[in-house]
Amino acid sequence: MARSMCWHCQSEVTGEYFCDRCVKVQPLSKDSDYFTCFALPRLLTIDAQTLETKFYELSRAFHPDFFQRKTDAEQAISLDNSALLNTAYRTLKDPIRRAEYLVQLEAGSVKDIRTSPPADLFEEILELQEDLDDFRAACSDDQTSERDRLRAKLMDKREHLERRQQTMESDLRSLFTTWDHLQTQDDRNQAVRAEKDATLKHMREILSNRTYLRNIVNDLTATIG
Amino acid sequence: MAYSEKVVDHFNNPRNMGSFKKDEDGVGTGIVGAPECGDVMKLQIKVQNDTIVDAKFKTFGCGSAIASSSLATEWLKGKTVDEANQIKNTDIVQELNLPPVKIHCSVLAEDAIKAALADYKKKSGEQQ
Repeated sequence: MARSMCWHCQSEVTGEYFCDRCVKVQPLSKDSDYFTCFALPRLLTIDAQTLETKFYELSRAFHPDFFQRKTDAEQAISLDNSALLNTAYRTLKDPIRRAEYLVQLEAGSVKDIRTSPPADLFEEILELQEDLDDFRAACSDDQTSERDRLRAKLMDKREHLERRQQTMESDLRSLFTTWDHLQTQDDRNQAVRAEKDATLKHMREILSNRTYLRNIVNDLTATIG
Repeated sequence: MAYSEKVVDHFNNPRNMGSFKKDEDGVGTGIVGAPECGDVMKLQIKVQNDTIVDAKFKTFGCGSAIASSSLATEWLKGKTVDEANQIKNTDIVQELNLPPVKIHCSVLAEDAIKAALADYKKKSGEQQ
């Protein structure tokens, strides 16, 4: 934790979350990100067990119940820290949200992070939505054979889409490894920086395509069961 | 948070829902998506003598996205290509009273308009 001065005794804070001298709880800095909350490096591979243990440890340390007899200032810090910690934990625990968060954090330094819209995927989605409309119409008009034909077709499509989702997720996992490796390299090296940017962009692309796919798969499931 | 009356109206009675054949003369098609929420919007214009004579949309997403594109097609009809280019997402936000979390829906509609216009220009350029 890079914090310069204790809000209470004005001594230099050397402890991670509490002042070493006056033992007062310190606010998690407003500009500390979810990784620094947990004193973690900005890596995408996180051991769930380690994260959970740290989360429980810090939850206890900041828990408002333990600050009831302290000053208003300390109570407020304990509340803010707990809230931030909960959000940080929820975000980092889930690999997808973790990746989304990291991309968003790093995007500031990446030019042109927006990916070009995947035209063929959109076409496919619109086509499927039209089939879904036809299916709904066939259901309400009691056209049994048409309904069954469309259901079979859509189920087949869904299976195909789910396989694509799995491929996307394993692609994303391999980018986790790439990113973590790049984080150990020297950032001042232009080639490293370029590769990082490319990795972030690739992750963003997979994450957005994944959202489109998830929506259409959910729509399919809601309609054909 | 409640949707404004205008959003609900467009959602329940969407104007100009449907589509044109993509390769039809004078038709420009824009398909755009919002990666944050996964909404997909298709907006088409039909142009005759530089004026948009008809517009259609199909949107798969939330109420605000549907309302934004429905409103956009209403506005597009009768406008020239250049006038259509002037439509801003903020105009849509104002008309529909969209809350801050739904502003991206209006951005999506503006993107769709721009994409449809660009597609029309590209197609008509190829024909000349």
